[in-house]
Amino acid sequence: MRAACGVRGLLAALALVLAGCSHRATHAAGKKMIVLGLDGLDPLFLEAHWDVLPNLNRMRQTGDFKRLTTTVPPQSPVAWSTVTTGMDPGGHGVFDFVHRDPATRAPVFSMAESSPPKHTLGIGPYVIPLSSGSVTSSRVGRTFWQILDDHGIPSNVIRMPANFPPAECEADSLSGMGTPDMMGTTGTFTFFTDDPAERRTTVPAGKIVQVTVSNGRAALRIEGPPNGFRRDNATATVDLIAHPDPTEAAARFDLGGQQVVLRQGEWSEWLRADFRLLPLVKSAAGIFRIYLQQVHPHLRVYVSPVNVDPASPELPISTPASFSRQLSDSLGLFYTQGIAEETSAYRAGLLSKDEFLVQSHKILSDSLRMFRYELARFSDGLLFYYFSSTDQNAHMLWGKYDNDLLEVYRAVDGAVGEALEKAAKDTTVLVLSDHGFARFDRAVHLNTWLLREGFLALDDPGNTGDQELFAHVDWSRTQAYAMGLNGLYLNRMGRENGGIVSDSERQQVAGMIARKLLEFRDPRDGHSVVGKVYFPETAFQGRNLKAAPDMFVGYHRGYRASWQTALGAVPSTLMDDNTQGWIADHCMASDEVPGVLLANRKMRLENPQLADVTVTILSEFGVPKERGMIGQTVF
Amino acid sequence: MDTFNAALDFLLGLIFQAFRWAPGLGLAVISAAAGVGMLWVFQKTSNQAKIRAVKRLVQAHLLELRIYQDEPAVMWRAQKSLLASNLRYMGLMLQPALIMGLPFAILLVHLDAFYGRAPLAVGAETIVSMGLGGASEPGGHPAAPLLEAPPGVAVETPAVRVVDERQVSWRIRPQAPVSGLLRIRVEGATVEKSIEAGTPGQSGPRFVPGRKVRSLWDAVWHPDEARIPTPKVDWVEIRYPDARVQWLGIRLHWLVWFIGISMLAALLLKKRFHVVL
Repeated sequence: MRAACGVRGLLAALALVLAGCSHRATHAAGKKMIVLGLDGLDPLFLEAHWDVLPNLNRMRQTGDFKRLTTTVPPQSPVAWSTVTTGMDPGGHGVFDFVHRDPATRAPVFSMAESSPPKHTLGIGPYVIPLSSGSVTSSRVGRTFWQILDDHGIPSNVIRMPANFPPAECEADSLSGMGTPDMMGTTGTFTFFTDDPAERRTTVPAGKIVQVTVSNGRAALRIEGPPNGFRRDNATATVDLIAHPDPTEAAARFDLGGQQVVLRQGEWSEWLRADFRLLPLVKSAAGIFRIYLQQVHPHLRVYVSPVNVDPASPELPISTPASFSRQLSDSLGLFYTQGIAEETSAYRAGLLSKDEFLVQSHKILSDSLRMFRYELARFSDGLLFYYFSSTDQNAHMLWGKYDNDLLEVYRAVDGAVGEALEKAAKDTTVLVLSDHGFARFDRAVHLNTWLLREGFLALDDPGNTGDQELFAHVDWSRTQAYAMGLNGLYLNRMGRENGGIVSDSERQQVAGMIARKLLEFRDPRDGHSVVGKVYFPETAFQGRNLKAAPDMFVGYHRGYRASWQTALGAVPSTLMDDNTQGWIADHCMASDEVPGVLLANRKMRLENPQLADVTVTILSEFGVPKERGMIGQTVF
Repeated sequence: MDTFNAALDFLLGLIFQAFRWAPGLGLAVISAAAGVGMLWVFQKTSNQAKIRAVKRLVQAHLLELRIYQDEPAVMWRAQKSLLASNLRYMGLMLQPALIMGLPFAILLVHLDAFYGRAPLAVGAETIVSMGLGGASEPGGHPAAPLLEAPPGVAVETPAVRVVDERQVSWRIRPQAPVSGLLRIRVEGATVEKSIEAGTPGQSGPRFVPGRKVRSLWDAVWHPDEARIPTPKVDWVEIRYPDARVQWLGIRLHWLVWFIGISMLAALLLKKRFHVVL
């Protein structure tokens, strides 16, 4: 999922000195382990399709298959941070895709934060950094591969979510979900058209730009990073020149010395853009793909988010820093953006379902190529490999286009088969998912519910709407507000700016909200909307609760917080039918959407949870769990 | 021009074929010969006496800088004189450099077809473009030419007319190793352009012409194929990948080898030729 709140500030760290790690000779006394992370792999879907997923089925029959208890809330950055650290969210401190700044109640990216250089020198319109900026992970705790590294056990960790920038270590690692694009956002596409009927200029995670085709030529301005070398931080750009043929449904695109000819309906290979930041001194390399959707009567061109170029990365996306170049040299260019499946353009109606499937299959194909490369060179220690396709495709297909989703499951089943093939007798193979899936039929405007229940007030009762960031909320009369996909915050005195709920009132207000949430009924058919309300003090063992919401709303299957809720809007209706392309989700009550755990041998634990996976990995190499880890080995 | 280009390519082709088993060695031989040629031209066209004198001056000023470190006025004067002597030295080099410039530029553009371009990789797409001759008609657009590819090469797109630049482009993809001709039919005329495709390294180095041109002047810089006979087409180009020349276990762009080896040869042989550089 892409939250519209980008991490633009991350680009201030483009001058970052990349942390490199040297390799040292290690071995794991012959012990080997392959762990495949299949995001969102759903137990119900698996159980309905064992017969066409032979490798996963083989694991179930000859090894073991369990439902895997997910985290509160069941969101990928939260859940994978638990796998990474062995701690619950109260330990690692990641509670949602977005957190909020209590001073402004504005959303902030939960996985990483950046800081600009402390010392700069201004020369005319330019600013020369005299010290490095930095990007740091917001996750607390040591990763399991850092701990393995301490014990001399080699590991390759590819695309672990919430691992940007990648944890410093000797392991070969590539960052995954949370890796920004060159604009510093979680992924912003651009759609160019000369169709006057297209009046939108922005959609979630995308821009729509009107262009003029004159004398068979149109300049498409591609935006790159904010230029930290300029006082005005102006966005660096490059011009992609489109030359649509006068009558044929084809066009040529020129970018610098590169050319690509596309027919209508074709995707380009990667194009390299060089964004000039400081003349003759500094530029930033990015890569993107073009999709020529239509040539006549109107030009319609989709340009992907500009990804960090793995051959010349401007941001720290791998350890060692040279590892992404090694992958690029061996495999060609690849998506580096954390979540690259173009769900946003599909949701916005700019790409059709078939066009989305073509794009998402390109990502899966890239991913399988990289997986095979890693599997081929795996000889000792641990290989962790993560696939996003099962999750991102499920969001758009689950429960409605099951045959299309099954194709994705079959592809990752093939990868599981290759891993089993590679595994020797003493190799442990685990396949896990962070959560399952359910239909997302009804979008709950939680702030509107708070308004109607009297916990939130507006400056004027008529000021409801889709305006984000609590545009009309009267904080002097507001006790609670919702932001993110499961979080609900009290407007606390001394914590929130202008908060009104005192420490003595806190439990009473929270308890009242929880009781009313559990009584919340869908006005359309009377179904219960919320199944569970979780309080961090009781749900988590960890006490790193600084960024935690005051409660988490666990919706029943079929219900989820609306997109408007996630960014602090207060629409006029309490609930809407979900009519968008994003038809399934998992941000519900945790027990409604468990993940899966498959192993190539029997498990001892009956009800494993995500944190057990971390301890299991350590235990397989004879490494004891560290303080703060809450799991136990599943074997 | 076509005859000259063909003759030079023929000569270079003989060396290229002779060292087909070790193209890096062939390039080294050509580079060393070019270095010797440079020395000879330099000897004949430069003022050796003046170069000798100015080099002695440079050495003297450097010595001055070392000896009179405690004399700021002398140091300042020595630095000015050093700069002036260097400029004079560069001036003396200018004449032989200008005389050598054209023949060496011609040699380099010829060598690029032998060592600078790799054949198209089988399965990899590339772009074929042509520049239309004549002037554009206001408000109109040119008729679409027809591209015919030899067996083993797929033409994947229709002709895309780039109206504002009077160009036409196609995307092609070799599906098998090919050494053949593309044919472009435009307004009753036919233009042929060679195409080379194959797995790099498998069939050895290849002569890979890049751009085929019509005008005499352009043919100086794109000499690999006979000029286009019809005024309807200015040029035809296939975008080939860059090649690297491997020798002694090192893979480098051919120009790096050429400059390095020719310079080395010139430096090693300058005393034998009684040349001061």
